[in-house]
Amino acid sequence: MLTPEEKQRYDRQIMIPGIGKAGQSKLKKARVVIAGSGGLGSPISLYLTAAGLGTLRIIDNDKVELSNLNRQILHWDKDIGKFKTDSADKKLRDLNKNITVETINTTIDESNVSELLSGFDVIVDAMDNLPTRFLLNRAAVEHRIPFVHGAVSGLEGRAMTVIPGKSACLQCLYHTIPPISKFPVLGATPGVIGCIQATEVIKYITGIGSLLTNRLLIYDGLNMKFTELQVVRIKNCECCGNLNIEDKT
Amino acid sequence: MSAEVKVASYLTQYTGGKEIIKVEGKSVRECLLDLIKQFPDMEKILFDDKNILRAFFNIFITGGDVAFADKLDVPVKTGDILTILYIIGGG
Repeated sequence: MLTPEEKQRYDRQIMIPGIGKAGQSKLKKARVVIAGSGGLGSPISLYLTAAGLGTLRIIDNDKVELSNLNRQILHWDKDIGKFKTDSADKKLRDLNKNITVETINTTIDESNVSELLSGFDVIVDAMDNLPTRFLLNRAAVEHRIPFVHGAVSGLEGRAMTVIPGKSACLQCLYHTIPPISKFPVLGATPGVIGCIQATEVIKYITGIGSLLTNRLLIYDGLNMKFTELQVVRIKNCECCGNLNIEDKT
Repeated sequence: MSAEVKVASYLTQYTGGKEIIKVEGKSVRECLLDLIKQFPDMEKILFDDKNILRAFFNIFITGGDVAFADKLDVPVKTGDILTILYIIGGG
C-alpha cells in the first residue's frame, strides 16, 4: 500500500504503462543487493533509491579516495577518508527517507557471499574486478537470484542480465578471468551502464519490458554506439550447466 | 570460407582504423591468422609469446558460439561474423 506522500513522490513513474500503483508497490517490497559502491554502484544506488526500491543492501569495503571522485558521484570531496558505505548511507537516506538502506562494510569472498546475498530479490554487480563478479554470479546461480551484470573500461561498457536456469550466466559469457589490473575510465561511462543496470532491476521487479538476457549490451562511448552480442547458455557451463535444462530459453 | 572479423573501437588503431575486416579461414584460428596477415600488429595484441590467445579475449561467432584460448578450432561458415571481445571488469 502506497502512502499519499509516496503516490506523489513516484507520480511520474506510476504513470508509466505497466508500472502503475501495483508496480510501485512491488518496488516498495523489493529487496536488492548492490555489490559495490563505486563508479557503477553510485548511479545504481541513487536511481534505485529515487525509484523507491524498498530495501537496498550496499556492500563495499573501501574508503573514499581523491582518485575516485571523477566517477563515483555518490562520494564527494568531504567524504575522502570515510568508508564508502557510510558516505552512501548518508546520501541515500537524504535522498529518500522512505526506503531502507542497509550498508555492510566488508569484502565479498567465498566465506560470506551466500550470507550476504541470501533472501534478496536481485543482485546487482557493481564490482571493480572480475574474480568477485564470478563469485557473485556463482552465488546468484546457486540461490537462483537474478544477477544484473555491468562493467566498464575507458569509454566502453557492458551490461547483461542473468536469470539463473533460464538465461546465460556470466561464466557462459566469459571463459577466462584475466588478472586484476588498474583500469582507465571516464566518469560518464559507469553513469551510462549503471543507469542501464538500474533500469533492468526496475523492469525485473515490475515485470515490464524485455530484459538483457542472452544478450550482452556493448556501449561504445568513443563512437557513441550501442551494439548487442548474442550469448548462448552453455550446456556444460561449470556454473549454471547443472540447472534444470527444462528452464532453458 | 569468407568471414568478417569485428574489432572493438580501441583495437582499430592496429587495423588501419577498420572495425570490420574480411578474412578467409575454415576455423577461428585460421581467420585470426588471416587477420594477422593483413594487420601484423594484431599478433602481439591477440597472442602471447607461446602463441596462445591472451586471456583477455573471447571470440564470439555469429549465433552465440564462443572461441577462447584452447578452443580456437571452432568451425567458421561463410558469412559468419567473428567479434573479438576484450573482457572488461572495471566498475
